[in-house]
Amino acid sequence: MVGEPILVMLVEDNVDHAELVIRTMEEHRIANKVRHFLDGQSALDYLFHRSEYTDHTSNPRPHVILLDLRLPRVDGIDVLKAIKEDNDLKAIPVVVLTTSEAEKDVARAYYNHANSYLVKPVGFEEFKKLMDDLGFYWLGWNTNPGIKD
Amino acid sequence: MKSEDNFFSVPEFYGDEAKVTARVIYFISVALIASTISFVLILPMLAPELTSRVMVLMLVSIPTNLVIMWLVRSKKLRIAGVLLTFLIWLVVTVESILSGGVSAPILMGYMFIIIIGGVLAKRNRGTVYLTLVCIGSGFLLAFAETNGMLPEAESFSPYMRITVYAFFFLIAMLLQNITAGNLKNLLVTARNSEKKYKSLLENIPITTYINTTDSNAYTEYVSPQVEKLLGYSRDNFLKDPEFWKKIIHLEDRDRVLEENEHTTQTEEPFEAEYRLITKDKNVIWVRDEATLVYDEYGKPLHWLGVWTDITSRKMAEEEQADLISIMTKRTIQLQTGADVSRAASSILDLDQLLPLVVELIHNHFDYYYVGLFLTDDTRKWAILRAASGEMGREMIALNHRLEVGDSSMIGWCISHGQARIALDVGEDAVRFRNPLLPLTRSEMALPLISRGEVIGAMTIQSELAAAFSRVDITALQTMADQISNAIKNARLFTERANLIKELEGRNAELEQFTYTVSHDLKAPLVTIRGFLGYLREDAGSENMERFDKDLKRIENAASKMQTLLSDLLELSRVGYVINTTEDIPFEQIVHEALELVIGPSDEARVKVDIHKGLPIIHGDHPRLVEVMQNLISNAIKFMGGQPMPHIGIGQREYDNEGRPVLFVSDNGIGIEPQYHERIFGLFNRLDPSVNGTGIGLTLVRRIIEVHGGRIWVESEPGKGATFLFTLPLAKPE
Repeated sequence: MVGEPILVMLVEDNVDHAELVIRTMEEHRIANKVRHFLDGQSALDYLFHRSEYTDHTSNPRPHVILLDLRLPRVDGIDVLKAIKEDNDLKAIPVVVLTTSEAEKDVARAYYNHANSYLVKPVGFEEFKKLMDDLGFYWLGWNTNPGIKD
Repeated sequence: MKSEDNFFSVPEFYGDEAKVTARVIYFISVALIASTISFVLILPMLAPELTSRVMVLMLVSIPTNLVIMWLVRSKKLRIAGVLLTFLIWLVVTVESILSGGVSAPILMGYMFIIIIGGVLAKRNRGTVYLTLVCIGSGFLLAFAETNGMLPEAESFSPYMRITVYAFFFLIAMLLQNITAGNLKNLLVTARNSEKKYKSLLENIPITTYINTTDSNAYTEYVSPQVEKLLGYSRDNFLKDPEFWKKIIHLEDRDRVLEENEHTTQTEEPFEAEYRLITKDKNVIWVRDEATLVYDEYGKPLHWLGVWTDITSRKMAEEEQADLISIMTKRTIQLQTGADVSRAASSILDLDQLLPLVVELIHNHFDYYYVGLFLTDDTRKWAILRAASGEMGREMIALNHRLEVGDSSMIGWCISHGQARIALDVGEDAVRFRNPLLPLTRSEMALPLISRGEVIGAMTIQSELAAAFSRVDITALQTMADQISNAIKNARLFTERANLIKELEGRNAELEQFTYTVSHDLKAPLVTIRGFLGYLREDAGSENMERFDKDLKRIENAASKMQTLLSDLLELSRVGYVINTTEDIPFEQIVHEALELVIGPSDEARVKVDIHKGLPIIHGDHPRLVEVMQNLISNAIKFMGGQPMPHIGIGQREYDNEGRPVLFVSDNGIGIEPQYHERIFGLFNRLDPSVNGTGIGLTLVRRIIEVHGGRIWVESEPGKGATFLFTLPLAKPE
């Protein structure tokens, strides 16, 4: 919906990395809101409206999910699977954002229907550029599936 | 006429008796014909009144005689004889009747009949009957004459009478000549034959004998060759008719006498080969063949037998049998050798190869027992790994083993690296008497040597004494060598397989390691580089608060990298740098670790229980302290909100290999079952908020594994956690 800020769900266990993402997104031209989850379990609870996230209004469905692979307890791939196997949630684009460039991680991610795979760059400029482009692409250009919660 | 000449000559007969008979009949017939004809010619001059009678006689006798002669030619002697006798009797009787009775000189003809009958008849009874008939007819004639039934007795002139008598005399003489001459001829021929046969029998190189027909088989005759054959003279045999039985070899005697008994009853020919003892106490082999000889009445007369010396043939046969047996043995050996070789080169699984090889040798050589021992790691004991038969299985089930040394053949063989053979076990001092193998008479122990090293030994036992020939030993040693090689190969193969597995495991570990490291080192780098940029921005916008915060982030990340790197180094070193291992009481390690880990605050808060009776273990002292440090530290870290934190350290019995199972338990937050394996993974951390690099348990596991032990966890969320691990015991003195 035009005008409404895009809700981005960030699932990332490293607080520093999360900070980097959030700061960049805050400064982005395209309006967005970032909700940060430290582990896979709480992310899924949010998406499935479990535990403290039962209220739909205060816990709206995100327009895009940024997902790290290495998470404590529930692994990133498992989160991905859970989302993509659920009829209601599978439409949400999931962008894997991780330090790993290992082939097997890439393969597994795509095999489990990740919409995109991004490797966190080492370097401030590069990181900023990536976040900018990410924002432009997914929040601007990309037409979101307008599925109501 | 030619045919008449032939007709009148005596045909050939077989058998002198028949010949004589034929001649006689022939002669008489001829004589009768001749005499009848001469009578016809002479009588008209002397007694013309008799001419008619004589004519009749001629008419009767000539054809009859011709018939008789023809019968003889047709070899129907008996009929001829009977007919002739009858003819003569008829002529004589009729003539007597016509001549008036018994005073007729023709009555002399009866004597004639008797004589002829005697010659022709086979038995004396015939002659008796004939005589009786003649006497009877004579008396009948006398009776008839007395009662006037007969015509007037003619008076013959004296010349008449003498002519008739002379006629009879001549016949008698000629008859006599024939028979006597024939008899003499017969005797001469017989004597000559006898001479011929005797010289034949007594000169040919076989010994002949004659035995009685009863079961005693007494010697009646033995040819002189017997002396050459046995050294005993003929007298020995003739003086003691049972002598021949006494010189039969003891082992053959029963058999021969039994055969003799058998043939006595069945009258079948006797045939046997057996040994006789000569006068010089030598042993010879003879072939004895005898047939039963019957007399003219078909009754058994005696046994006529032959002894042939077959000693050389028998020896050749024995030699040949020996040769064949040796060759067969060799073939079996070669066959077995080939089978063993094939098995040894194709089967790498020792559990399959060893029993197979043992059975091969056992079956092909038909030994009592074959067993295969291999030394254990200490080289002090030889353990039975494969053995043939039921007793083999039993012994393996009992974990049968023998000490290397001089207390058994196998032990001696292994310690000296040489084969040992006991040809008669009763006499060999170095021998372990096995109650499960009572029938062993001879035993052989062969070492299994591979590349100069004795890895075991094979025992081969036989129920026979001195069962192993030189050839056997060579063949078996070759097989033993092949087996040794096969064992070595199989072990190398297993070693290789294990090494490959280990290598693959290490590779996988390394891969995982590299992956994890690159990932987890990269993360702080991302932070550092990322916030460096923001630092500049913060400085530019003079946002000092943010500047500080961001700087802190960078510092933390950097130090994290540092810790990570040193931990990783530590982890990799655990595999390579091995400190000297020693025996340490586990309790001591626990105390040392506690000292390092528990600070004063923890000491007050957490109760640590150390159980009694902890064992003395063998390992790398400082590393083991590290292990306990990590485990105890984790236990404290993960207490959660537990109001009464408690840590227990102790031992929980032993595992299957005799290692002690030690534990560290806490009553903290516990670990969900799905993470029981993951927690040992590199950098896997369940709770990032808790301080730590995520390397601790990985390190702990690596150290335990280097010691040959195992570590695992028993835990449920909210019910604390118990980490269990095994370590090697200190070796006993």
